[in-house]
Amino acid sequence: MDKKVTVDTSVIEQTKVDPVTFEVLRSIFEYASDRMTTVLQRASFSPILADMIDFSNAIYDYECQLLSQAANCPIHLAAMKYSAEAIIEKFGIANIHEGDIICVNDPYKGGTHINDITFLTPIYFEKELLGFSVSRGHWMDLGGGAAGGQAFAGTHIAGEGLRLPPVKVYERGVMRDDIVEIMVNNTRTPHFVKGDLQAHVGCLRAAAQEMQRAAAKYGIVTLKAAMKQLQEYTERIVRKSIVEIPDGVYEGEDYADTDGFSTKPIEIKVKLIVKGSDITVDFSGTDSVVKGAINSPFANTASAALYSLQFFLAPHAPQNQGMFNPIKIVVPEGSWLNAKWPAPTIGCTTLTSAKITSAIWQALAKAIPERVTGSTSADCNWFVSSVIAPNGATDVFSDLPAGGWGATPYNDGMNVTEDPLGNCMNMPAETAELLFPIAYEAFELRQDSAGPGKFRGGLGAVFKVRYLADGELSMETARTLAGSPGVAGGQHSDVQRQIKIYKDGRREVIGGLDEQGNWKSPLLCGHPFAYGETFMFESTGGGGYGNPWERDAAQVREDVLDEYVSLQAARERYGVVIDPATMLIDEAATARMRASMVEKAAA
Amino acid sequence: MWRVGIDVGGTFTDLFAWDDESRQQVSSKVLTTKHDRAVGVVNAIKAANIPLARISYLMHGTTTATNALIVRDYPDAAMVTTDGFRDTIEIARQHRERLYDPYQTKPKPIIKRRFRYTVGERIDVHGEVVRPLPREQALEVANKIKQHGIRSVAVAFINSYKNGAHEVEMRDIIKEINPDTYVVLSSETRPVFREHGRFTTTAIRAATIPVMEVYFERLENALKSEGFAGRLLILKSSGGICGVAYAKLHPEELIESGPAGGVAYAGYLSRLLPEFPNIIHTDVGGTSFDVSIVENGHGLITRDHEIEWEIPCIVPMLDIHSVGAGGGSVGWVDEGGSLRVGPRSAGSSPGPVCYGLGGIEPTITDANLLLGRIEPTLGGKMTLDKAGAEAAMERLAAEVGLSAIETADGMIRIGCENMAQAVKKVLVSRGRDPRDFILASFGGAGAMHACFVAESMNIPKVVMPIHAGVASAFGATAMDLRHDLEVFHFSPVADANLADLNTLYSKLEADAVRLLEAEGVSREDIDTNRTAQMRYVGQTYEVETPVPDGKLTPSGVAGIIETFHSVHKREYGVSSSDFAPAFVSLGVTGIGRTDAPPPIEVGGSGGEAVKGERQIYFNGAWHMSKVYDGHALKPDATIDGPCIVEYEHACAVLPPNAVGTVDRFGNLIIDISRNLVSNV
Repeated sequence: MDKKVTVDTSVIEQTKVDPVTFEVLRSIFEYASDRMTTVLQRASFSPILADMIDFSNAIYDYECQLLSQAANCPIHLAAMKYSAEAIIEKFGIANIHEGDIICVNDPYKGGTHINDITFLTPIYFEKELLGFSVSRGHWMDLGGGAAGGQAFAGTHIAGEGLRLPPVKVYERGVMRDDIVEIMVNNTRTPHFVKGDLQAHVGCLRAAAQEMQRAAAKYGIVTLKAAMKQLQEYTERIVRKSIVEIPDGVYEGEDYADTDGFSTKPIEIKVKLIVKGSDITVDFSGTDSVVKGAINSPFANTASAALYSLQFFLAPHAPQNQGMFNPIKIVVPEGSWLNAKWPAPTIGCTTLTSAKITSAIWQALAKAIPERVTGSTSADCNWFVSSVIAPNGATDVFSDLPAGGWGATPYNDGMNVTEDPLGNCMNMPAETAELLFPIAYEAFELRQDSAGPGKFRGGLGAVFKVRYLADGELSMETARTLAGSPGVAGGQHSDVQRQIKIYKDGRREVIGGLDEQGNWKSPLLCGHPFAYGETFMFESTGGGGYGNPWERDAAQVREDVLDEYVSLQAARERYGVVIDPATMLIDEAATARMRASMVEKAAA
Repeated sequence: MWRVGIDVGGTFTDLFAWDDESRQQVSSKVLTTKHDRAVGVVNAIKAANIPLARISYLMHGTTTATNALIVRDYPDAAMVTTDGFRDTIEIARQHRERLYDPYQTKPKPIIKRRFRYTVGERIDVHGEVVRPLPREQALEVANKIKQHGIRSVAVAFINSYKNGAHEVEMRDIIKEINPDTYVVLSSETRPVFREHGRFTTTAIRAATIPVMEVYFERLENALKSEGFAGRLLILKSSGGICGVAYAKLHPEELIESGPAGGVAYAGYLSRLLPEFPNIIHTDVGGTSFDVSIVENGHGLITRDHEIEWEIPCIVPMLDIHSVGAGGGSVGWVDEGGSLRVGPRSAGSSPGPVCYGLGGIEPTITDANLLLGRIEPTLGGKMTLDKAGAEAAMERLAAEVGLSAIETADGMIRIGCENMAQAVKKVLVSRGRDPRDFILASFGGAGAMHACFVAESMNIPKVVMPIHAGVASAFGATAMDLRHDLEVFHFSPVADANLADLNTLYSKLEADAVRLLEAEGVSREDIDTNRTAQMRYVGQTYEVETPVPDGKLTPSGVAGIIETFHSVHKREYGVSSSDFAPAFVSLGVTGIGRTDAPPPIEVGGSGGEAVKGERQIYFNGAWHMSKVYDGHALKPDATIDGPCIVEYEHACAVLPPNAVGTVDRFGNLIIDISRNLVSNV
């Protein structure tokens, strides 16, 4: 048996790393996880990893505490820890050998949705366990009832794809063909499996190499002591910033429009209990587990809560276990944010976590209104579509047209930017057209879609793609009943909508509200599109910040000139009257308009 | 006749020149004249005592286009796109720069939305017309352009890389109404797929053409009025030079025109020193640290350069990375109590505390002064305020809990570690192993830190080139004319039609030769090299694969596939026989050879090489260390660290156990292998 962890923990605890070596090692730890990202992006084969960078990487210390992370997707931030713990719990450290690579994607064992698969390898130096490198990526397809696992009509986890318990995919450096074959047999995209697996392996090994070099140069004891001191350092920063939030209980809420079955929204209720340098995030009062596929397992809920707070607590601090220690998360048993087998969870990362962020930020806005932003569009708008290629083969095509971010106390929100939960890139039209039988017709800013305010939310988009072959589209989204909430007097954005345009130009709302006020569920599962038909999606902008009548009138005019805001909206929502002939502000009319807005608000 | 290289930087305008008859070499350094940079160019020539009429070639690197872009200081340009793609240059790829910053904003688009128009044309992925360009709509756009008095327009349509006919039609219509307006087409700027990069690069060309036209005309006039009758050549981002007429119309190729000269010098060194074919080029300035990789005489090229976040310029460009670390980087204690260095910089104003210009936070330069590594009068140029620097360092030291001198030493270690991480990122992102390289340091402060940066990366050797102080100007005189032409050709290699490939390559070669001949290069001095951008089918990134000259045969294609697998393995760490390789585009690089300055063997200036000695702090203790005059060191001289080597515009620091030797050209090669840990 390998020798494991020979250095006594008391020796590590008593070792004080000098401030300069500490800083140098901090930089090395950070670089090691960054290097994992570079390797994985460069070496992976599937577009969702290589082009859309839907993955995250991390290094854990010898006690499986997070040491360093390059999270491209914040939703992976804390959830990976639960996956790593599930692996270690199953095998025990004594049975995890040098060269082993263990994977897991079980949503109930630290996973998020089935497509996010996590790989772990131990890092040894001179037979001493230094820690673990861990890599989590979104794999395009691991089976299930619809392409990409997007089985929104499903009501059971078994319909969402291959659910792997912690299992060794490499044993002492040798690939286990039987396990890889199971993966290959359970996907619509078998050609990506080996290439992507190798990319994950390469990135795990890159981190191990960096840590081994550091151990050779600085010694095992110093290295391990620095790991612990780095976590304490982050914890100090986080606690300091919690102390600056006034003690109290702050409530926030948001909701998913539907789980695909319900006719009423599904609510999230959150209480932030701030006391001294601790925060409890309590989801009591949240709705019960639902039939449809948007339930969130505990790891996903906890991860969403932690990254949401990270934006306002310690955005620049090294990401490690120290961030988690001051924060306690309470999720009631039986709620839709604490999903257990067999509740379906495929929508938890892209939809549910965005709503958790929105609820938490609205609670925070009550505690620190001078710092918190308007709500973002709070959706990934991730869709996956099968298309029948000209040669008869089924291909899987995917994109995630973003909405806008909320306005901040200092500036307008960002237009069309991936939700806080991720940071994926969109699909270039010319790439998509080259690879799939489709034509992109638009991806452009959507006028007046953002919430007005002293600072305006970022705009959403109009997205159109035309099918040049038959296909079936699955998509999950919300904000179809009301737009993104504003804060501090800032207003809501517009709602989102899914539309089918028929060959003759006729339009039909297939998700969200139509002109007559009829509403359809925006969770599309295998919605058919025939050759020549167009899928159109209108994403929403972010919520506003501050009263719209306080927005600099000259800035409103600039927005009108750039057609971010229409003349009508300038007048009705900002109280700025602009002469359409000269495009100059009518100062007197504007003053009158704004005075009446103030009056109305006071009443 | 003189061949003159001039680099106009933010603070100084540098010149290096050599006479192709007498073989004499001169250099000069004058202040950059910000109101009109052409004045500084003429000043530098006069400072070097070169009669303008005796100049045959003037090679010039300029950051004018880049500066104009960064502050968006150019006349309003317009853009015309396909319906639905008006905002491609603004939405970009919808991702954000900082993962957890809720207040971040994105850079302003290169062309304002109010001047971005759309038309209802459409060409499909095969280049077939789906909807013709509607003439009425196009005329309406042309009239709006006229109404706003816009002088420069970018036309960028979807799939135009496959068929640019609609863009040409659109240009004709705009010109009907606006005969004096520049109209640039995406299908001519860079006919490659992926609309965001192509559209943005076209917008960059449209925005900067009017700026560069004014600048180059002013420069030409200033030179002519002083009697210059030679050929004015401009440094391109690709590491080659081109005629000024070409440069005026292709300003998007000048983004790295400034730093390109330094990389060219590194390339020159790698050809001159056959034992060091692979060089990491580093340049430490006041606020930034630049890194690039030079292999076998040439800098690595990228097509993924971003001017700012999500503002790509997709022309082939030297892969130069810049991080915020330099002499002005500030030491500070963060909210968690840890000692940090940079990225904030004191810049040139207020600058380091020791400059006495109001700086109060200790910088890397202050740390070097306190450690004895900088001479307190900078060779008599100015008197540094050592007491001020010491007081500032003591304030910082009290927060850290170390002594002032330990804090200064720590700042250098941390600063160098940050630089080393930046270098490693560049190497790793290009699949290179640091141990295959020598580290070369350029810029005044480069060689003060190079040994420490190399140590952190386990690189055993460092070179301090003799012309490091005027590196970019020297490099400019060592560059060849160069044009990179490209045509889109997407096809799995297995399905490629050889006749088509041969035709496309021949046409590109003919175009490259024509361009170079128009710039005065004779046919026998022209080389052409073929490349292909290739990828595995289904992948979304390409690697540049060399392609053999001459008529392609089936066995030649098999060779290309082999080369592709190995290049892919080197750049990305993997290759796979499970995926079929595909061509994405074909390229030809035309090189017009010029004469580089002949290497001059130095005999040393004849003076005494040892200037004196002083106490310098290394590894927790003071060491009495010799100070050498770098220009007086004779070939084959060996010097032992700890010591300092001072040059006119630069300074090298050799830590204990380092050994320096001077080669016959005066370059200082420093061996630090005794300071490295055994490799893991």
